Order: sequence, then structure tokens, then C-alpha cells
Amino acid sequence: MSILASGGFWAFVGVVAGIYTILALGLQVQFGFAGLLNFGQVGFMAIGAYTMAILVVKEGWSTWLAAPLGIAAAAVGGLLLGLPSLRLRADYFAIVTIAFSEIIRYVATNDTALTGGSQGTIALGPIGTASQYNGQWSSFEARVQHALGFSSSDATMLVLVWGVAVVLLALCWLALRTPWGRVLRAIREDEDATASLGKNVFAYKLQALALGAALAGIAGLFYAWEFSFFSPDDFQPLLTFFAWMILLLGGLGRVWAVPVGAGVFGFIFAGTRFLDFAPFTWFASDQRAYLRLIIIGLIIIVLVLVRPQGLLGNKREMVLE
Amino acid sequence: MFLQLVANGLVEGSIYAIAAVGVSLVYGLLRLVNFAYGDMMAFGALIAYGVDGPLHQSMVVAALAGMAATAALALVLDVVLWRPLRLRRAGFMSLFLASIGLALVLRQALLLAAGSQPRSYDVNPYRVFVLGSVRLSEAQVIAIATAAATIVAVGLFLASTTAGRTLRAMADDRVLAAIAGIDVGRTTRLAWLISGLLAGLAGVLAGLVEYSFDPNFGFDLLLPVFAAVVLGGIGSAYGALAGGLVLGLVQELSTWSGFAGGVNPVYKPVVAFAALAVCLLIRPQGFFGQARVG
Amino acid sequence: MTELLRVEDVVRTFGGVRAVDGASFAVADHSVTGLIGPNGAGKSTLFATIAGSLKPDSGRIVFGSARIDRRPVHRIARAGLVRTYQAARVLTRMTVLDNVLLASAAHPGERLAGLVLRPGAARAHERRILERAHDLLALVRLESHAHAYAGTLSGGQRKLLDLARVLMLEPSLVLLDEPMAGVNPALREELLERILAIRRDRGVTFLIVEHDLDFVMQAADSVVVMNEGKVILVGTPGEVRVDERVVDAYLGKAH
Repeated sequence: MSILASGGFWAFVGVVAGIYTILALGLQVQFGFAGLLNFGQVGFMAIGAYTMAILVVKEGWSTWLAAPLGIAAAAVGGLLLGLPSLRLRADYFAIVTIAFSEIIRYVATNDTALTGGSQGTIALGPIGTASQYNGQWSSFEARVQHALGFSSSDATMLVLVWGVAVVLLALCWLALRTPWGRVLRAIREDEDATASLGKNVFAYKLQALALGAALAGIAGLFYAWEFSFFSPDDFQPLLTFFAWMILLLGGLGRVWAVPVGAGVFGFIFAGTRFLDFAPFTWFASDQRAYLRLIIIGLIIIVLVLVRPQGLLGNKREMVLE
Repeated sequence: MFLQLVANGLVEGSIYAIAAVGVSLVYGLLRLVNFAYGDMMAFGALIAYGVDGPLHQSMVVAALAGMAATAALALVLDVVLWRPLRLRRAGFMSLFLASIGLALVLRQALLLAAGSQPRSYDVNPYRVFVLGSVRLSEAQVIAIATAAATIVAVGLFLASTTAGRTLRAMADDRVLAAIAGIDVGRTTRLAWLISGLLAGLAGVLAGLVEYSFDPNFGFDLLLPVFAAVVLGGIGSAYGALAGGLVLGLVQELSTWSGFAGGVNPVYKPVVAFAALAVCLLIRPQGFFGQARVG
Repeated sequence: MTELLRVEDVVRTFGGVRAVDGASFAVADHSVTGLIGPNGAGKSTLFATIAGSLKPDSGRIVFGSARIDRRPVHRIARAGLVRTYQAARVLTRMTVLDNVLLASAAHPGERLAGLVLRPGAARAHERRILERAHDLLALVRLESHAHAYAGTLSGGQRKLLDLARVLMLEPSLVLLDEPMAGVNPALREELLERILAIRRDRGVTFLIVEHDLDFVMQAADSVVVMNEGKVILVGTPGEVRVDERVVDAYLGKAH
């Protein structure tokens, strides 16, 4: 039980929830604003993280140049995915997006020369060197920690991730209230009617897809910095499904529902580690990992069945159809 | 070498084809893109393993048991999950997300019950049949023979039995079929029954051909199967058959050295999706699919 | 009288069925033109083809001086040709006011670059169209519903909202798809009045598909009659009313 009381552990859970908030916010922009069923969100996260790490380690770029380029690469990935596939029917589009994220993962696993392959970022640099992409970030984090007078780096990371998350949430909230956001909401409900009012539906969808992808890229950067190492296995489709669950938990179409969903998700995900009563005690700890995912799967199903607008969603504005 | 790749492609493709028909039938009726289908395949494969390995039954009995169990699972899931969603008039997005939740539950339940260690059926991996320049393992021969028989059987069933025609009629237009007096509930159960049987069979055959498999292997098969379904035009059973075979061949032949030096075999899944992307660019409704009349 | 729209030999097939089979006619500027014909005559298909949501297999559609039959829907709308739908497709999950505001053309605030680089211009445009939107809602007597969700409106009110929304685009040609269907009788007279007033005050041309022949005869200056995918007659309501071919088409004696 001691770990339950440890601030460090919960700070870690909070950091992860913040990263998921940014990831799921991207889905909210794509699906909640524009009605796009993107199931390949994790692919954009991978593009952001890998672009930054590769530029820093292999090209010797400054982190502060490589990071924005990582975000831009994710957005460009969104454009490249969207150009051929946005004209497809929703069901085809959903399948193509999953395929896209799996292609990214396959390439990251197998193109060892570019990404370090299945060994992950440790193998990015030349053999015999410890390749680190987060040197500049760590010293920045240390300076922030010193300035804030914090004693732990976990708490510092928590402040940084959530600081960025809150800014991004506010920007998205504002964007949805502009005339631009109004067009997106219209497309979400009836794209043919919106097109017949003179709106270039395709261009708006493309923008939403690219912006959501850029948000995933930002999530990828924080993911990379938080863990100091990552490999293609970190970008399984499962992560996209977690983000969808957060979206459903929070509420569709509502920006501020995303962090609530991420918080509940983080609590469920971390909290289920500590279920030390029957029937959970019947299982070994590795089996409990399976059990945790079963619970998450069941929550997705139950939400779809009984609360298709999400916990905080407004049924009159948006439900899962 | 070329002929060998064609043979391998046909083996792989016929497994995709069987699974793709199972996905496509249910999609045609319920507009459900069943993300849990790969895990249903893994379920069938593992049940068959339990009968084949520990129980020492013949592979045929094991395969039948795997198929029957998967079909039962499919029917139970229809009652507890899909029917309530239909009653709520859930659309494509709800169904798809629910199937993702179900996929998680199924796969983790399999891991919980069976563990993550790889398993193999009781077949001899070293027994090889030689046909001219083509060498096929025993498992491959079993797979392609069974698959061919199944494809013919499914094709005949859909084309010339009343039940099969009913299925296709309902896939074309659910409302019209109901008006025409088709028992929608019974036809839906029939679709799940067949879809489940095919999932079990495809799972067993894939397990045979891959020689060793674990509960995660269904998901790896799912995306090529989806690609085959889309290639064939979602909801078209014949299209799915053709899409599966084409995809299997494309995947294998892409590694042929005569084809621009050959693609590295690890990129076979990428080739499948590249084929899919090219196809969708040319024909957004799928290779064999028909554009819906507006 | 100048022509605003010209449809030339338009053919549109669906899997072998020629829904529109070489239709030709013209719509005069500032006119109210009715498009009638029995069920299955190809009116709806032709309508969708003019508005750009279907592309013709062959033939030309000229609007003003430009060919529009290969343009995407939104560019046709921006050029000033907009349609309404038989079951008005208002955005039910948005407010009535937002529905109208949405239709404003060339809004700098609808572009991300405009929002970031010219926030002042975006705000000014929004203020201007807010005023116009309220005027248009007053015109169709929906002012009191401005802040309600459009989903709460009745079928007839939705048609009025659709009309107001379309006018926000300042179109020169409006295609009305069965404006009278599902509208309660009390509202019919008013809708007719509105349409004629809009034509008079704003110089808008209307092309109307309508099953209610009384309404067409009352409203239209010119009537186009279709049967089996072809235009069989163009004339004034008086001419059309007495023409045998029209009677035959409706009674199914043509062949």
C-alpha cells in the first residue's frame, strides 16, 4: 500500500494523464469538432517523438528546433493521410487510419538505420555511444524545478505538461467558438448541407485532421521526454483506443471534458494496480495487467451502450451515432 | 521462386479470404466493422489447440470444435451486445467503438486464460510436399485444401440456397428485405453463425500455417483481413473472397526479386496497405464494390 | 429577357437507368420558374445535378456566363446558385441564429489564417452579419427562436429557416425543392408571399420543384414540364394547364 500514498507515483499518473489529455484533445478536434473517425492517432504521436529524437541525436539539432519540427512533421503526416483518404466513406476512413498508424509502427520497427529499430531510441546513435535526445530538455526541466523551488522532477514535469495542456485546451475552446469552429460543427452534423452553403468541407476536414495530428505530435514529445527512451512498441494501436476511451468518458464535442476523461482514465488505470481484494487477489500481478485492460474494454462497451454522449457531453449537441 | 511465391500467396490469401467473408457478411447485414474479428479467430485457434494438444484429438475434430465454439461465442455476443446496440439504433461509430472494446476484452481474457506463451498444433513442420519447383509444408497443404473447399462451399451456399440468397438480399437492403417478409432476426443469427464458423476456421488455419501462435496473433491478422474486405468492397461477400486472394498474392509477390529487386519481407503488411491505398485512390468504393446509387 | 441558367442536353444515369435523359431548358433572370412532372420524371436528379451534388454524364449547365457542371458544390454555391432540400436540412444541433450566420460568404473568421492574422476584420464581419441574420430571421418570422436549437423547430419552420439561411448567401438563383411539402396550410400562403417578396425586393430568381400544382401555377411565370427524363414542354402556367402532353404525362398515357 505504501506506493499508493507516495506523491511521486501520483505525480507520475498525473503526468501521463496530461499527455493523454493532449493526445485525446487531438481526437476531440478531429471527431468532436469535425466528425472524423481517426483511429490512427498514435501514429502521429510516433511521428512527433521520432522526428524530434532523430533530429537531436543524428543531426545534432537543438531540442528547441527539433521539437517544433516534430510537431510540424505530425501535422504534415495528417495532411498526407487526409489528402487521399478524406474523400472515403467513414468506415473506410477509419480502417485506413488504423492501417496508417500500423505502417508507421512497422517502419519504425524495421527501418533500423533511421529509427534504431525494435531496440528503440537507444540504438539511434552510432554503436558504442549512449544516444540521448533529452539532454537539453533535462537541463531545462532542472532550471524550472529550481525556479519553482520543487524538490522532485516528477512535480516539475507535472506542472510543465499540464501548463501546456491547459494552454492547448484554452486555444481549442476558443477556436470552437469562432466562425471557423462554427463551420466545423456544421460539417460534423451534415456535411452535404454545409457544402451547399458554400463551405469547402474537404479543406476544413483536412485542417481538423492536421491540427489533431499536431496535438498528437506534442503528446509524443512529452511522452519522449517523460520516459527518456521509447521504442516502436510504445506506439501500439492500444494507445489510440485509450484516447478514444478518454474522449467517451469525458464527453463528445466538449473541450473541457477531455482532461476530466483523462483524469478518470488515469485513476482507473493506475488505481486498478491496487485492487488487493477478491476477486483480484486470485490473480498474479502479470495477470492483473490483463484484467485491467479487460476492465477498460468493458468501460468502453458500457459507455457506448448507455451513455453515447460521454459523461459530460450534451446530448442535444452531440452523441455517438 | 516465382511459383513458390504464388503458392505461398494463395495459402495466405485463402485464409484472408475466409476471414474476409466472415467480416463482410456481418458488415453487409449490420453495418458493423467488427474489430473483434481477429480476436474471435484467435479464440477459435486456441480452443482447437486445447482439443488438439491436451486432449489428443485429431486435428479435424479440433478444428470443428474451434469453429463451433467461435460460432457459439458470436451468437452469445449478438444477444448480449449487438442486439441491444441495434435496439438503440446505434450507428456505425458506436458499433465500431463497441467492437474495439470487445476486442480488448476478448484478447485480454484469452491472455488471462491461456497465457502469452506461443503454441503449436500437433503437426509435423518438417513434412514437405514437392510439386515441381514448389515446396509446401503439410500445414500449407491442409490449409489451402480446406480453404479451397470452404470458399467453394460458401460461394455455393450464397449463390444457390434460399438462406444464402436471403443473406445477400438483406445485405443489399435491410428495410426492403424486412418488407419482403424476410425474418430479420433469424437471418442476423445465421450471419453470425457463419461469420463465427469462418472466424474459427480461419484462426485454426492461420495457426497451422504460422506454426506457432499466441493470443495476440489475431490482431496481426485483422488488418490484412480488413484490407481484403475493403479491397473487395465492404459488404460484398464475393468481393471479399477475391480481395483476400488478391491481397495474399500481392503480399507474397511483392517480395519477388523480379519485382524491382523485391520488397523486404518484413514490409509485407505495409505492401498490403499500399495496395489498399492505391485501390481506394482509383476506386473509392473498393475494387469490387459498387457505387451506391445516390 | 436575359437567361440566368441554361441546361443543355443533360444526361445522368444510375446503373443503366437514364434518370435524366437529355434535358434542356433555360431559366430567365428574375423569374420564378416551376419544374414539374410526375413521380420518377427525373426532377430530383436534375435538381441535384444543377446544384452540383451529382455530376452529369454528358451535357452542359451554364450559370450566368460560366459552365458549372464540373464544379464542386461549394463553388457553385459561392457563385450564387444555392439549393434547399425537400426535408429542410437545418443543422439541428446548432442554434437557429448560428444556422443563418454559418451561411455568410467570404467570412475572414472562417479561415484559420484570417482568425490569427486579421482578428479585427473577422470580428467586424461577424458584427455585420449578425445584424443581417437578425433581419433575415425577422423576414421569415423566426426572430423569437433565434437562440433555440434548430432541432426544436417544426417542419414548416425549418423550411423558413432554410430559406433565410440561403438568402444569407445573397444568391442570384435559389433552387427550392418542394417548398410546400409538409408545410401546414396556414403557413403556405405566407411562404408564397415571402418568395414573391424576396424576388421583388432582392431580385432573386427561383427555380422550384413542386408537386402542389396549384402553388406552381400561382407562383411561377414559367413552367418546365418533365417526363421520363426529358423536358416535354416549357410555357406559361396558362399554356401548361391546357396542354394535352402534360395531362398525358400525369395520367401515364404518354406511351
